[in-house]
Amino acid sequence: MILEVKNVEYAYKSQKERKVLDNISVRFEEKKLYSIIGASGAGKTTLLSLLAGLDKPTKGTVLYEGEDILAKGLDYHRKNHVSLVFQEYNLIDYLTTEENVKLGGTDRPEELLSKVNIPKEAWKRNVMKLSGGQQQRVAIARALASKAKVLLADEPTGNLDEETAAGIMELLKGTAHELGKCVIVVTHSKSLANEADEIVQIAKGMIADPGHLV
Amino acid sequence: MNGFGLAWRSVIRKPIKSVLLFVTVFTISLLLLSGMSSGKATIKMQDHTRQAVGAGLLLEENEADRHRRIEELSRQLGHKEGSYGGYHQEKITVNGVENWRTWTDNSFETLLIEDIEAIAATKGIADYNITTVTTAARPVDFIRIEDEDVDQYSDLGGVSLIGNKDMSMDSNFLSGNAFITEGRMIQEGEKDVCVISSELADKNQLEIGSRIRFGKCRDKEGSMTYEAEVVGIYQVKQPIAPYMFGDTYRSENIIFTDLDFPEKVDGKAGDPLYEKAYFKIADVNDYENVKKSVMGADIAWERYDLIDNNGNMNTLSTNFNEMEKYSRALVWVISGAGLIILFLIFQFWMKSRNREIGIMLSMGTLKIRILAQIMTEALMIAAAAVLISFLAAPGVSGLTADYLVEQQIQSAEERDLLDEGKVAFSYEKSGQDVLGVEAEITSGMLMQDAGGIALLITISVCVSGIVILKRNPKDILQNL
Repeated sequence: MILEVKNVEYAYKSQKERKVLDNISVRFEEKKLYSIIGASGAGKTTLLSLLAGLDKPTKGTVLYEGEDILAKGLDYHRKNHVSLVFQEYNLIDYLTTEENVKLGGTDRPEELLSKVNIPKEAWKRNVMKLSGGQQQRVAIARALASKAKVLLADEPTGNLDEETAAGIMELLKGTAHELGKCVIVVTHSKSLANEADEIVQIAKGMIADPGHLV
Repeated sequence: MNGFGLAWRSVIRKPIKSVLLFVTVFTISLLLLSGMSSGKATIKMQDHTRQAVGAGLLLEENEADRHRRIEELSRQLGHKEGSYGGYHQEKITVNGVENWRTWTDNSFETLLIEDIEAIAATKGIADYNITTVTTAARPVDFIRIEDEDVDQYSDLGGVSLIGNKDMSMDSNFLSGNAFITEGRMIQEGEKDVCVISSELADKNQLEIGSRIRFGKCRDKEGSMTYEAEVVGIYQVKQPIAPYMFGDTYRSENIIFTDLDFPEKVDGKAGDPLYEKAYFKIADVNDYENVKKSVMGADIAWERYDLIDNNGNMNTLSTNFNEMEKYSRALVWVISGAGLIILFLIFQFWMKSRNREIGIMLSMGTLKIRILAQIMTEALMIAAAAVLISFLAAPGVSGLTADYLVEQQIQSAEERDLLDEGKVAFSYEKSGQDVLGVEAEITSGMLMQDAGGIALLITISVCVSGIVILKRNPKDILQNL
């Protein structure tokens, strides 16, 4: 087990009574692709934010390899334990394709760009000149460049057509099975979620699928 | 890729924001330099009433500085009786009404001997003379020349003493207006000797070798008198211009003495009042170079006017109306406005880079490193802008100084017009024309400018950064 949330609760500071996540406990393992699904406002993205160390839970703990991520600090957790892929790709607009991948922490972006099928002629081009699908592949390559054992993706196919989305999902699957990383994907799409090894369903801030409850 | 690598890529590849900051910093830097140099500018003036004779330079007290020093000392003393720095004030009651009496002593008014000696030590100065202020003295055993048609009630009833270190360099003799008819001039180092006018000699049957006595002018009953030997008799082609109104100061009653005699007679031995210093230049062909060297002497120049043989003199902006004050105000206004503009620019930077900041935070980059990257970018652009402004500054600061001087002259003229016949000035305004302005940019100004810009940028980046970076990464990413 690489990542675990234990009795986690989360509420916004402005609405303390309304719990976005209510006593959630779930574990994630390496070499597996997880999908987190649920209706809008169910708390999927909030759970991903807590796993990513972008925010702190109101109650409960997030553990990485059995240790509370707050122990070494959230910055450390984000830098060393997890890598992130977003729906909006979130690439740095003044860097080239290669340079964006280098930001992930590698000096050899070529291998990763080849792996995610970015044509060579696009490597030195400004990343904003690439198509949406290509930009998301570059974002995945940047996430893969990190030595982190966990890859978290928030609606990575949300802005892509079906065919491209399927390709991205294959890439994430490969990342889990071939590279041995723990890949956790938040998605709306049930068909894409079904590609995962395990599905975590959230409804009204709680785990809806009892099969994954601890 | 490190922060510096990201910074320079951002500077080069996001030109609009870079150009915006470049132009702003360039303008601020240029105006700051202009303000600083105007505040230290030298205004080249010509005085119609004063000029050094021959190949020499004349040092006199600057009236505007004297006026300012009095105001400063008066401010320091406040509404209290007392003395400070040669300035005195006391409360007096006249007809039941309380008033303040203020006066200055010789230590306040005199040219400083150490400054005179510093100039005299400049290479190219062959010799120098010091002339005392015209001092009224009471003739004890001789009669002065008087105009019989004038009521002498308000006159001091004295004669005028002018002491010289080297009488041959007194302006009256140097110009050829006064000349010795009998005897000789007073030589340096002599004590208790004098040279009198031929009119005074005739009236009193005085000859070379005669001894005459003087007393303190206002102390008519005083027993302290001082004797001087007549070593020469002079005549003038044109009467010497009187120092003040009245027969005490008329040309025939002027008696030249050794340097220390006037202060002794005035009861202030050891406390001289030197009014002028004349510096003789060794090589007349080297006049301009020596003048430049003299102006480089390490003395408090704001206290003096150095006048050349054309009546030209350099006046520091401190002594030119409100020039320094306006220049200083310009620097403060530019700094304040600069800070606000820079803050707004960095606010725009931060907002337009919200995504980038969010991405960096999501990758675990520390907030301080993000701020450092933005600071690096800002300083890179600012360094380029400041360097270019250094090149443009000499031209622009000259124009700014010219403009400020012109404004000062105009407002002074308007003020004089309004004050005409209503305001009495504490000093006589001499006829002076502005010939030009010299605004120099010194290395100290460049350092101050660069330091000031760096400080403005640091403050505005930090303040702008706090607004964005105090939010947590989730909030930033949610707003993208």
